[in-house]
Amino acid sequence: MHWFIPSRYHRAAGITGRIAALFVLAAPGAGAQRPAPNPTVVYAVGKEPTMPIPLFTHSEQANDDVSDQLFLHLAAYGPTGGVSGDHALIPALARSWRRVDPLTLIFELDPRARWQDGAPVTAHDVVYTWQLANNPVVGNDQSRLESIASVEAIGDRTVRVQFKRPSAEQVYTFAFLMQPLPSHLLERLAPEAITTSDYARHPIGDGPFRMARRVPGQLLELDADSTFFLGRPTISRVLFRYVEDPNARITLFLTGETDILDVIPEPAMAQVRGRADARLIAVPSNDLVSFVFNTRSSTDTTRPSPLFTDPRVRQALTLALDRTTIARSIFDTGATAPDAAQSAIWNWITPDVTPHPAADLTRARMLLAEAGWRDTRGDGVLVKDGVPLHFSLLYPSSSAMRHTAALQAQQMWRAAGAAVDLDRVEGPVFGARLPTGRWDVMINRVGEDPTPSSLVQSWSCGAARRPGSTNYARWCDSTFDRLVTTATTAKDQPAAWRAALARMAAQRPAIFFAASTTPIAVHRRFDNVIVWPSRTWLSLWQWRVRPADALPRDR
Amino acid sequence: MIRWLASRTTEAALTAAVAFVVLVILLHLLPGDPLTAVLRDHPADPAVVAALRHRWGTDRTVWQSLIAFGAGLAHGDLGVSVSEQRDVLVVISERLPATLLLGGLTLLIDFTAGLAIGVWSALHPDSIRARLAGAITVVGYALPAFVVGLVLVWIFAVKLGWFPPSGASDPLLSPGAGVGTIVADRLRHLALPLATLVIATLAVPLRQQRTSALAAAAQPWVLAARARGVRPGVVAWRHCWRPALTPIVTLLGLWLPMLVAGSVFVESVFAWPGVGLLLAQATAERDIPLVMATGFVLIVVIQTGSVLADLLYRVVDPAQRPA
Repeated sequence: MHWFIPSRYHRAAGITGRIAALFVLAAPGAGAQRPAPNPTVVYAVGKEPTMPIPLFTHSEQANDDVSDQLFLHLAAYGPTGGVSGDHALIPALARSWRRVDPLTLIFELDPRARWQDGAPVTAHDVVYTWQLANNPVVGNDQSRLESIASVEAIGDRTVRVQFKRPSAEQVYTFAFLMQPLPSHLLERLAPEAITTSDYARHPIGDGPFRMARRVPGQLLELDADSTFFLGRPTISRVLFRYVEDPNARITLFLTGETDILDVIPEPAMAQVRGRADARLIAVPSNDLVSFVFNTRSSTDTTRPSPLFTDPRVRQALTLALDRTTIARSIFDTGATAPDAAQSAIWNWITPDVTPHPAADLTRARMLLAEAGWRDTRGDGVLVKDGVPLHFSLLYPSSSAMRHTAALQAQQMWRAAGAAVDLDRVEGPVFGARLPTGRWDVMINRVGEDPTPSSLVQSWSCGAARRPGSTNYARWCDSTFDRLVTTATTAKDQPAAWRAALARMAAQRPAIFFAASTTPIAVHRRFDNVIVWPSRTWLSLWQWRVRPADALPRDR
Repeated sequence: MIRWLASRTTEAALTAAVAFVVLVILLHLLPGDPLTAVLRDHPADPAVVAALRHRWGTDRTVWQSLIAFGAGLAHGDLGVSVSEQRDVLVVISERLPATLLLGGLTLLIDFTAGLAIGVWSALHPDSIRARLAGAITVVGYALPAFVVGLVLVWIFAVKLGWFPPSGASDPLLSPGAGVGTIVADRLRHLALPLATLVIATLAVPLRQQRTSALAAAAQPWVLAARARGVRPGVVAWRHCWRPALTPIVTLLGLWLPMLVAGSVFVESVFAWPGVGLLLAQATAERDIPLVMATGFVLIVVIQTGSVLADLLYRVVDPAQRPA
């Protein structure tokens, strides 16, 4: 009967809460009634979950949502939802783990764990999955497991994991990111053949639910595995309905055909609030939106950018933006504008993410003047050494949110003396142009990892030099790198990460303008509704339906 | 006739081949990276990217793609979808039945009710009902299909609760339900998307038929029949309708692709699991193997429709038959 939601989000949702967790009492007398015989969750997803197999989900949310019901992680989120330290996570497929030295962990698998075909889950399954994860043809995000040096079975149910460097997040990196696959069913297949095999059509996992049926283009049904070794699920079946159109998903929720609505545009919020049988939950999101400066020249990527190499210009362009207004125009009060790359799920680092400094056009102009930018042509656009402060803003045309932000930024920057051309392109074109560096400023939207050590992937000097990295800005600051390295092993994690983020805020490689919370509507008949900021439905199997409120589909 | 059919089929096959080559060339000219759907915002080592490009064949030139597609076609393998990671033939075959059902019923209604109302309107050009029918269908044609769809959903699903707002079947229907229950469920789910498509398209065959029938009604043989005192009903159906069918057959040939392509907006609004939406998404994601295979199926269907239309044309118009 609890939602693990940091207190800030409870305030945003009009719910009071404590620091890390909130406990919501069940309806009085609920325990005295017989449970609903067939508790059902119906959830409409915007993308069809066609490949809900770990390593093959392409991080597609619908696939991940289903795979989390079919396959267990070695460790699960604990009460705090934290990922730092050896004891932040709680046992799941692994019943325990112990540290041998700063680079070595040993995991013991739960001997009760079984694949849904009856075979035991073994250490060999874990090793096989690790090897598969490192096969390039699988297309898995290998950067997340990069810190792991080796994984070996030292018994039927014991796994030794060797890391390349010390880190406070080793347990998370291995035990949460790893969802073992059944080697006895997959080992005989070539890795590239797995997705087209019979197994992909009827995956066999070790999680609380088993695949019941899939109606192509329409739905995927999971049934509870009554033999699940961590306890019989209190939800009997889950139906993932594929509904591509967001308006159709809203209609389905409003007509009572679905139980969960997880993307609620502001105009529909009043209708959702108006439903007496719906309960709104604000969940911190890992979503982070920013204007990213290309620190290399967009015409010759071997040279520094003539516009954005000087931190004063980046700082001035930040000051010229009213980030709070931009965030509110898109997310209403459901987002804040952090100073550094800090999505809402990292608020344990800095709970107060009020933008500092606030928009200040006068100071922005002063900084630009200090950096040598003058309106010498009298057209309102500043010039330095014959180069006008004129740049393009790249973003994908599919994102209405980014278009709104772009239009506002264009106007605000114009007031500061910068001319901005909007470069609105299709999603795949946007994706193709990012690594080429042929852009000046782009609006990026990322889903951050639960761990801040992932900052290395997008903002470190090493990533700036590495082809294929997501440090598209090619920003490199050795002080920031040093602070991040320190933070990964620091005892006082929040303070260490605060220092790293403060350095980033001072250098402004990007203007972060929206770290959002996601309002999720859930039918009120459910108790024990636990949702997580990342991998939202991990605890779906523990939800309960109040018998008195059961619907026909629960009976 | 057989010689004509063989020649026409060969011509259609050549046209299909050229159309397919053009499609593949255009696909290769499209900007954007197909791997965006796979890699998203993850960092990726160049070796991983190269392996993935090779796996999905997105590193091939136009001619390599065509040769690989032709070789695969010979043994029924059209490749693997980048976004879905499954055989494209499986993906298409999963979606085709829903599209054929919706598109087929739309065509059936358009070309039965539409034609009947069209002929009737031509025979009663001054009646208020004929004018009203014409006006209503034109309004339906002028409105965007997705607006019609949203309005129908709001009225008949949200407000009245008569029909489900989306989907092709009730996900909670027991797999062991009787045939009658299943058919009734399918019809309930079909009602709103079908109504939307019919409202959006009925005007075209209706007005086409009305115009043709009006033209036919002025022909000498019709005037002669009337002068002979033939009953108006017989004049309408025997002397007016058949000659007025010729342009309708042409129209039918052109509309057959709708059977497969469906309507992207209608499929989206009603979560109808069809090929149209699949093709739109695949193109947006640059899922080249899926777009190539879907494009191939569409081209084959269009060319087949074209041959069938020509054949039908010869049946309804004796003047087109060889002496």
